[in-house]
Amino acid sequence: MKKQKISPVQWTFLGLSLIVVLVLAAVLFRGEGGEKIRQAGEAESAENTPEPAPAREAKTIQLFFLSENDTLLHPEQREILAGPSVVEEAEQAVSELIRGSDKGYISPLPPETRLRQLFITKDGIAYVDLSREIMDKHPSGSSAELATVYSIVNTLAYNFKPIKKVFILVEGGEKETLGGHINLSQPFVPLYSMNAR
Amino acid sequence: MIGFNKTTAKRLAFFSLLFFSFLSFSAAQPGLPPASEAATPPLGGNPQSVKGIRTIVIDPGHGGLEVGAKGKFGALEKDITLAISLKLKALIEKNLAFHVELTRDRDIDVSLENRAAIANTHRAELFISIHANGSYRHNANGSETFFLSLNATDEEARRLAYLENNSADLDKPLAPENEDDIKMILWDMAQSAYLKQSQRLAEIIQDELNSLLGTKDRGIKQAPFKVLTGVACPAVLVESAFISNPQEERDLVREAFQDNVAQAIYRGLVRYIKLLS
Repeated sequence: MKKQKISPVQWTFLGLSLIVVLVLAAVLFRGEGGEKIRQAGEAESAENTPEPAPAREAKTIQLFFLSENDTLLHPEQREILAGPSVVEEAEQAVSELIRGSDKGYISPLPPETRLRQLFITKDGIAYVDLSREIMDKHPSGSSAELATVYSIVNTLAYNFKPIKKVFILVEGGEKETLGGHINLSQPFVPLYSMNAR
Repeated sequence: MIGFNKTTAKRLAFFSLLFFSFLSFSAAQPGLPPASEAATPPLGGNPQSVKGIRTIVIDPGHGGLEVGAKGKFGALEKDITLAISLKLKALIEKNLAFHVELTRDRDIDVSLENRAAIANTHRAELFISIHANGSYRHNANGSETFFLSLNATDEEARRLAYLENNSADLDKPLAPENEDDIKMILWDMAQSAYLKQSQRLAEIIQDELNSLLGTKDRGIKQAPFKVLTGVACPAVLVESAFISNPQEERDLVREAFQDNVAQAIYRGLVRYIKLLS
C-alpha cells in the first residue's frame, strides 16, 4: 500500500468541514432535536435499571366481543397501560380485540390482523388502519361484518370520550366493504343497542 | 368530511359519465329514438323503460370472484342467491304485470355501485337484494330483512336537508307512473328518500318469510348496506338463512327451501303492490 500525502488544500477543506459539522451539531442540540435525544436517553437508562418504577399506570377498559348465546356484543374487562395519550390507549384496545377473549367470547376480528396505525382527528374521528387480513381472512356475511365493525366502533367510543366516530381503513386506504355488505366508506357512530346490558 | 365529499364527487362524476356515455350510445343507435327525445331529463331517455311496463330489479348478492359467505360443506353464498333470484324472477313474470331485471343472471362480478345503477337506469319500482347470512357464531340462525340505515350524523343531516327540500314529493311518493317528474338527486343518498317505504316492504316480506320458511324470526333491521345506498326506489336486502350454520346450509342448498324463499318474497311483493293501488 502506498501512503497518501495530504496537500494543504485538502487540510483546509477538512478543517472547514469540521467547523460546519460542529456548528450544525450545536444548532441541533440546542433546538427540539436536543430535547428528543435527551428523552430517548432517559428512557434507555430507565430500562437498564434492574427494577424500573412503573412509568405508566394500568387502566381498565371494556372490550366488546360476540357470544355463542345471543346476537349481542358482550363486555370483557381488560387492563391496558394508561396513556401517555388517547391514541396509545386506543391502539392497545384494538390490539386486545384482535388478541381475543379470555372468557370464551368470540372476537369478530381475524387473529392474523395487525393494527397498522391509529389516529384521531380534532373532530373526534378515530381512523383505524388495519392490515389486509381483516378482509382476506374475514368469513363475510352481513352478521359477521356488522359484528366486526361494531366490536371496534363500540369498544373505542365506549372507552375513549374524545372518540365520537370511527373510520375503518384497510392497508392505509378506504375500502368499500369487508366482504360485500356493510359500507366502510363513511365513519361509524357507535351502536350501543348491540351491546349486552 | 373531506373524504366524504370526495367520494360524493367521485360518484357523481361516475354516474354522470355513465349517463352521458349512455346518451351518446343511444343516439348513435339506428332505430332508437332521435337524440332530441333521448335528451329528456335524467334517465328519461332510457329506451328500456317503455311507458306502462313496470320493473322490479332483483339483485343476487355477490358473484364471480366475490363469493360471499361460505358454508362448512362448501356451499357459496353467491350460488344460493342466484338460484333464489332466478326462481323469484320466474314467479313474478308468470303472475304479475312486471318486468324483472336481474343485476346478474350468471356467475359474474358486478360492483355494488353498478347494482344500484342498474336499478336506477331501469327505473325500478322495487329493488330486492337476495343474500344468505354468515356469522362468526356457529349456531347463529334464522331469517331477517334489512333496509338501509344512515349511520353517520352528517349523513343524517344531509338526509334531513334533502327531505325538507323535497317534502312535496314525499306526500305522493307511491305514484311512480309520473315519469316526467323524475328529479336528479345525489346518487349516494338516493335511498334516503325511500326509507319509510323500504321499511314497510321489509316488514311485509319478513312476515311472509316467517310464515313459509319455519326459520327463526330475526325481524327487520337497519344497517348501512353499500348496495342499498344508491337505489332510488323502495329497497330491501333479504337474508334468507345462515350459510355459516351447518343445519341451515343444508336447507339453503335444497331446491324446496329455495322455492319457499322465492315464494315468500313473491307473496310479500304482491301484498306490498296491493297496498299501493
